[in-house]
Amino acid sequence: MLSTDLRNNVLVVRVEEKRIDASRAPAFKDEMTRCIEAGQNQLVLDLSRVDFIDSSGLGALVSCLKRLGPRGSLAVAGATGAVSRLFTLTRMDRVFALHPDVDTAVEQLSA
Amino acid sequence: MKIRHILLILTAFLGAALLIAVAFQIRDELLGYQTAERMAASNTVRERLLLGTAALASERSQTYVLLIGQRNGASGIMELRDVRRQVDDLLNTAEREITATQASLSNTSSSLATVSRIRREIDALRQQADGLIGLAEGGRGEEFAPHWFQEATRLVEELQSSRMTILQRERPLDPALRTEANLRAFGAILSESIARNQALMSRALENPSEISGLEVDAISQNAGRAALAWELIDGQMVVPLSESVKGAVSGTHENYSSTFAPLQRSLIAALLGQVPPALGPGEWYDLTGRTLSNIALMQRELLRSTRERLDAELSRTRRSVALWSALLLLGAAAVLASIMVVRRRVVRPLESLSQAMLRLADNDLEIPLPRLARADEIGEMNDALRVFKANAIQRQRTQNEKQVLHARLRDAYSQLRKDLEAAAVIQRTMLPPSARIDGVEYHGLFRPSSLIAGDTYNVVRRTDGAIGFFQVDVAGHGAAAALVSVACHHALSQAILTRTQGTPLEEIVVQINEEWPEDLPYFTMILGEIDSRSRRASIIQAGHPSPLVIRSDGAVEMIGEGGFPVGMLPAASYERLEFDLGPGDRLFIYSDGLVEAEDQSGEQFSEVRLRTFVRDAAAEPSAILLDRLNEVLRNWRSTETLDDDLSVLMLERSAERMPANAVH
Repeated sequence: MLSTDLRNNVLVVRVEEKRIDASRAPAFKDEMTRCIEAGQNQLVLDLSRVDFIDSSGLGALVSCLKRLGPRGSLAVAGATGAVSRLFTLTRMDRVFALHPDVDTAVEQLSA
Repeated sequence: MKIRHILLILTAFLGAALLIAVAFQIRDELLGYQTAERMAASNTVRERLLLGTAALASERSQTYVLLIGQRNGASGIMELRDVRRQVDDLLNTAEREITATQASLSNTSSSLATVSRIRREIDALRQQADGLIGLAEGGRGEEFAPHWFQEATRLVEELQSSRMTILQRERPLDPALRTEANLRAFGAILSESIARNQALMSRALENPSEISGLEVDAISQNAGRAALAWELIDGQMVVPLSESVKGAVSGTHENYSSTFAPLQRSLIAALLGQVPPALGPGEWYDLTGRTLSNIALMQRELLRSTRERLDAELSRTRRSVALWSALLLLGAAAVLASIMVVRRRVVRPLESLSQAMLRLADNDLEIPLPRLARADEIGEMNDALRVFKANAIQRQRTQNEKQVLHARLRDAYSQLRKDLEAAAVIQRTMLPPSARIDGVEYHGLFRPSSLIAGDTYNVVRRTDGAIGFFQVDVAGHGAAAALVSVACHHALSQAILTRTQGTPLEEIVVQINEEWPEDLPYFTMILGEIDSRSRRASIIQAGHPSPLVIRSDGAVEMIGEGGFPVGMLPAASYERLEFDLGPGDRLFIYSDGLVEAEDQSGEQFSEVRLRTFVRDAAAEPSAILLDRLNEVLRNWRSTETLDDDLSVLMLERSAERMPANAVH
């Protein structure tokens, strides 16, 4: 469900699914964990294709952030609509660095 | 018709065909045997008749010469008695043989009658002759002699013809046999011709000068017949005959041509030329007798050869019948054995196999399979059937195991469901029923996605008169979320009740968030408080959707913009929002399951539709508004079920002050 692309030493992880809900959250978390455990600590999560994230999906996102720890950073790019509203409603816009697109996010992280 | 029956019928049919063929062959052989038997019988009869005829001819000559007064000494009479005894014996034997062979020969009675009649006539003739033999000097014997000769010749001819009749009836097919029969017939003509001349020439030589031309003609005719008979005999010799027969014939002919024939010719010539013949009657009689016995020897050789041939044919056909009968028995035994083998090796195993197959097809796995230790097709079929059966038993066992497992799963599931249903009843009893406390009326809508929900809410009255309330939505749903929601329900209710006056409301949330175990799912909530003595109300928004305020005039407002969920980040901070909630104003708190409820095409109900609905239904009392909302959602989903837990809590400050503690 994820596709990855290493750009400027930043791993861009794109979610290929339209939803991250209770049925997909465990798989999403597992795949993300593998990326992080492979040694990547500069990650951009591309949510441009995602329409909807439910509470389980949000929990998975936060647990990835926690696993990355203070050394790494997980930026979010391309969050729009319901996803963007969820970030706002749960104040996650203050926890994740949100970017309008991947390029900006990679630029920010690699700077 | 079944294959096993076809096999049996085919085997039986083939067997029957074989046996019938052999039986026909046996019938043919039996017929051949009967024919040979008949031939042999006919031959025996004819043999006696032939010898009898020759003997009668000899008697004729003997009697004739006695009658004309030649050789009439005691030895002549003795010889006559001997030859008569011979004739009687042979004709007797012939009669006996004819009687004995009545069974196999046809039309024997007429032959028998002829022979009997001839014998009677011979007897009568003999009596006539006997009276005259002694008185030959008187000349009466000489007068009777021609009559005797004529009558005796007639009887000889009749005997010959009765023999020929029998030969015609039982004519042999074998060329050698036929030839030998012909040779005997011609031999008989030869012998008769010579025998006649034996008598006639004797008389002519007695008194050559008195002999008439007619008598000499008769003698010449007889000599001609003899020569013709030899020609006929020679004509038969082209057919392969046994060496002994050939030898006998050529020897006799040689003897005849070298001695008898030239002598007879010279005597006839002398008689015709009126010159005295070179030979006396006695010498002629003896010479002719020797020639006749030579011919008789030839005839006996022919008879012996024919007898041998017929005996050989009889024993050959007997052997053939025995051989074919043995073959028939062998064939019958082979047919029986084939049928037995087909029955034992094919029919019975097939029968038991097909029965076993049918029973197996009926799912009867108890049926024992035939025990066949065979490497042929039936053995292979049996082995395959064994594998089928083993597989069927294995399949049945697996099926049974599956059924047992299925039953256990069903039990476990029903136990789980019962547990969940009990839990659901408990969870519902924890939710406050619609009521009014100190001028605040509240109603709830609670729809779990499964039996139990991660959503919960409560309304609690504090001793200081404030009305505390909360609505919680634990991340995820199902049993785990439900358990956490129960824990939250208890913790929040207790926290509202035990909070010392003056402690800010957000302190409760901060404390719970800090102490929240990291392993548990986080939750979002609205925690709030309505001051029953003022128009004010306050809430903490912890990641929960922003509640709506429905003013008494129908205006709809949204309170709050967001906040951290509880149990996600230990360091999160929370803010209290204070707002007016006047008489008739209503607070509408809902979990995200409401706006995220999707229709068939995946479209969410959304905040926009919710606000439109609330605005449209603002005039309705809270209970009715919630009923209608529930109805609208059902229509939206087109189904009874939900993907996420859904709950709504509505609180309304009464338009008029109601007495404290009044609950409806």
